Amino acid sequence: MTNRNGVRGAGRWSRKDFWLLTMVAPGAIWLLLIRYLPMLGVVIAFKNYKAQKPNTFWNNLVKSEWVGLKNFAFLKSPSTVTMIRNTLLYNAVWIVLVLVLAVLLAVMMSELKNRFMAKAYQTMMFFPYFLSWVVASYFVLAFLDPTSGMIPSIQKSLGLKPTQFYMTTGPWPVILTISNLWKNVGYSSVLYLAAITGIDTTLYEAAAVDGATKRQQVWHVTLPGIRPMIIILLIMSVGKIFNADFGLFYNVPQNSGPLYPVTQVIDTYVYNTYANTHNMGMSAAAGLLQSVVGCLCIVVTNLIVRRIDADSSLF
Amino acid sequence: MKKVFALILALAMVLTAASFSLAEELPTITIMFHGSNVTDDTAVLEAVNDYIADKVGAKLEVVWGTWGDFDDKATNALLSGDSGIDMVFTCSWSADEYNTYAKNGYFVKLDDLIAEYGADLTAAIPESLMQAATIEGAEGMGVYAVNGFKDTATQNTWDVNVTLLNELGYTLDDFRAMSFYDFGEMFQKAKELKGDSFYPFLVEPMVLERMVTGSIIVTGDSGSTNLLSLYLNQEDVSADGPEGNVLLNKFATEEYRRFVDKMHEYYEAGYVDPSLAVAETSNDTRTNAQNTGDYLIGTQSYAYGYEYSPAVLDRGIEVAFVPCTEPYVDTTAAQGAMMAISTASEHPVESFKFLALLNSDPTLMTLMNYGVEGVHYNLNADGLVEFTDERANYSPWTNGMGNVTILPDTAAEGAGFREAFKAYYASAKAIPCAGFAFDNTEVANEMAALGTVAAQYALALDAGALDPETTLPDFLAALDDAGMQTYLDAANAQLEAFMAAK
Amino acid sequence: MGRDRRTSASLNTFGPGAQAVFHVTLGLFALLCILPFAFVIIISFTSEDSIRQIGYSFAPLGWSTQAYRYVFRLGNALWRSYFNSFLITAVGTAVSVAICVLYSYPLYRKDFKYRGFFNFLSFFTMIFGGGLVPTFVVCKTLLGLSDNYAALIVPLLFSPFNVIVMRTFFQTTVPRELIEASTIDGAGEYRTLFQVVLPVVKPGIATIALLNALAFWNEWFLSLLYITKNMDVIPLQYLLMRMQRNADFLAKNAGMLGADAAAAARKLPSQSLKMALVVFIVVPIACAYPFFQRYVVAGLTVGSVKG
Repeated sequence: MTNRNGVRGAGRWSRKDFWLLTMVAPGAIWLLLIRYLPMLGVVIAFKNYKAQKPNTFWNNLVKSEWVGLKNFAFLKSPSTVTMIRNTLLYNAVWIVLVLVLAVLLAVMMSELKNRFMAKAYQTMMFFPYFLSWVVASYFVLAFLDPTSGMIPSIQKSLGLKPTQFYMTTGPWPVILTISNLWKNVGYSSVLYLAAITGIDTTLYEAAAVDGATKRQQVWHVTLPGIRPMIIILLIMSVGKIFNADFGLFYNVPQNSGPLYPVTQVIDTYVYNTYANTHNMGMSAAAGLLQSVVGCLCIVVTNLIVRRIDADSSLF
Repeated sequence: MKKVFALILALAMVLTAASFSLAEELPTITIMFHGSNVTDDTAVLEAVNDYIADKVGAKLEVVWGTWGDFDDKATNALLSGDSGIDMVFTCSWSADEYNTYAKNGYFVKLDDLIAEYGADLTAAIPESLMQAATIEGAEGMGVYAVNGFKDTATQNTWDVNVTLLNELGYTLDDFRAMSFYDFGEMFQKAKELKGDSFYPFLVEPMVLERMVTGSIIVTGDSGSTNLLSLYLNQEDVSADGPEGNVLLNKFATEEYRRFVDKMHEYYEAGYVDPSLAVAETSNDTRTNAQNTGDYLIGTQSYAYGYEYSPAVLDRGIEVAFVPCTEPYVDTTAAQGAMMAISTASEHPVESFKFLALLNSDPTLMTLMNYGVEGVHYNLNADGLVEFTDERANYSPWTNGMGNVTILPDTAAEGAGFREAFKAYYASAKAIPCAGFAFDNTEVANEMAALGTVAAQYALALDAGALDPETTLPDFLAALDDAGMQTYLDAANAQLEAFMAAK
Repeated sequence: MGRDRRTSASLNTFGPGAQAVFHVTLGLFALLCILPFAFVIIISFTSEDSIRQIGYSFAPLGWSTQAYRYVFRLGNALWRSYFNSFLITAVGTAVSVAICVLYSYPLYRKDFKYRGFFNFLSFFTMIFGGGLVPTFVVCKTLLGLSDNYAALIVPLLFSPFNVIVMRTFFQTTVPRELIEASTIDGAGEYRTLFQVVLPVVKPGIATIALLNALAFWNEWFLSLLYITKNMDVIPLQYLLMRMQRNADFLAKNAGMLGADAAAAARKLPSQSLKMALVVFIVVPIACAYPFFQRYVVAGLTVGSVKG
């Protein structure tokens, strides 16, 4: 790292660096102990982990038999293609949708003249974040339940054959998408709203003086102002593209088997498999795989971002 | 950073040393139970520790695992080699599955301890239970857990709403003469009488499938959705079944096809609640309807005395349980509730002494299970146990603790209940392959893939929601793709070897 | 504040037509967001008979306050867990915000020599983890996080996500000249941070505090893992999740447990009780929300140009 001021030599500790180091110290110690030390456990993905003599965790870790890539063999399952396709496709679509909607809502809220209503909307939008997917799934059930749900009831009263929602794959990509947007858009829009708040107001004044209309101000001041936040959140969600929101895919469809072709994702597959086999190596392998893919995605995205706008890149 | 680590390690060592020097004379042993509902154990543990101080030479602490947290807590403790847990519940269906965990070295082999300290224990529980616990573990053939003496046989029954049955013009004997394939007319009448939103057939689809086809759960088979069938001899459970001792692809048999065809017919006629076909709503729906008596025919895994329990008496209807077969001892039931000692334990001897005492000494078992006399229960004039309100704060899971046959009778069950209970299960016959547990490690990947395929189809098919004509061929093809033949071959090879050794 | 600037209003705010569109859009979405919560409240007041007969419904057959009466009968256990939730959230939020701000500020300083290293140190853990059991071993055996409040706070004290968000807030709201000016004045690093920088990033801090408070308030899995004997420290959320998981377990294992499962299921609390507990969990944090929001939206009103 080059020193901007060039006051002190690059190889020596300056007093400034020392004080800044003391600032990162608490976080760094936490990271080393609670995140990095357990990472030794990653080798479980390549081992047939069992209790050894004496039975202590570190001893078991070291002495268990090395099995190479055997734990990754779960990928040979015929469901693999489906679950990877579902995970990637849903995530890709949702990253874009959440981003667009959250930014749109945040800009709208920031431009409302009525501050009281702006606050009210913002508070209400945060509510989905408080409710777990289990609770949300009851809400979905109230609409779709084959016996007493609202939609089948309406269909019955119209003399139609009620749809067996939990047996029919067709509507689920839409239901899952709506559920996901409902849960995440409000949360993200708060981050964007806070970022908008931080924009230097003189920029708007300058734009107004230049005769920019409000729409132009949004386009030329607000959006560039929150661009770093947009890019950072984007890179981070791309890094999670191989991870799915477990509760959404498990609880909301009530883990209904016939829906698996459109609801099975990596996380639910690993969960169901672990519940079935209790194979620790397999779940460690799946987790490692998700991390590696996530890492690759982030590095690639970050490279692209750095080409376009070095300041906004993650590292 | 190295220095920081060194410092922390040094600190940790000092702290550990300090805790040793402060330790009391008696070592503390910790036991982890399953399914408890305990919020205040102070009085009980005080009494227990007084009682066991001399007999066991240790002080007891308890981790009251609940239904929802036991699996995570127990597997974490075992996999992490936690020396803070000495004894832990295990069985053929919990996450710390007995056969797998014993094989992987997490449980202490008890044979030597039994020989030295286990005379009372072996006298208190039947020889068959010891045999059911004898398996090929990390240290060779032996006993790796103390097997609890409870409802150790399996018996599936029809759960009949007799009140409604009579209203429809049938007697219980009429029903006994019927088979699953003759229910249609009865359901039709019920539907006419009770209206369109009434669902007469209230089933646990997977249990129903076993009841109708006469198959058993094979221990070690894919847990959430069974893949393997072994057909019972429904006339005499101790004799070989129609196919012999062979494991079959459950979904490829003619019996299965016949069953799902009929079930689909019942479903389409509106006799089955569609919620029963969905994994996460199935059981809630069933329990609700069962508790309100809102059904005609249901399914129930039966335990002796169940008809006298509040779960049945409170339904407000007359209930009868009509068995499909006599009770039979299979591996799943015989390994239904056990207590193992962790190999990470620093006090295996004291732990074993405690388990032996718990399973053979009525005073200790009663104390642990029913609480303290005068606090959690009182004895009435007939010497029967009557619980007080304090029992709400101390309700362990009775059957998960050990030998329940040495408990005193409660007023609700009536005098002589435990004796009858014991006699009922002592007389149960073992099926020919009892004791067999499929070791699935070699085909774990196939099992994972097959489990997913089966979860996609089996419940919905068993409940009748899918049309077998169109879905069953797809299902079977998907199973073949996922390696069903490899899985079957491995299972049958093991069963053959087991039967030969027997 | 700044009313005099409204002269060129057409340039500074959207017109009434656009405002109306905003209100309709935001209003509809906001309604959709609270509807499920209204639903939860309705279920919590629904009679058990109604739930048994027609399931969850916006229009139940009968009403009942039984669930709430049951919640209050939980008595000490309830208030104790409520107190724990507040304590854990308050302490956890304060400490984690401090750690987060202290960690992310040097990452924003381009002249910090080890910026790249510490950036990576934090970021890497977002993607790679050691897994449940190894983390459990370190926390329990090495750090003694077991059966105490620390076990429910320490594992959540740091969030790489929040660090990156906070760093971005620094980047977008704190002009680098501000720091240079302060350093030239001879202020120490800590004084620059606390007296010059922090007042500017208040909206960012409020946002981070909100995210942290929510994380602590909603946490229950740590209790499940680390609290085995001392039930005096468990938070409210765990009480709810325990009921939920007990019910789930019995549902999944009904086939194996047979008669036992049916007997145990009878002891479980009703659905309306679970919903009543959800109400108990959501209401306090929803009430605390405007407190955080004040900073976020207050910042907006200060930006007077935007009306």
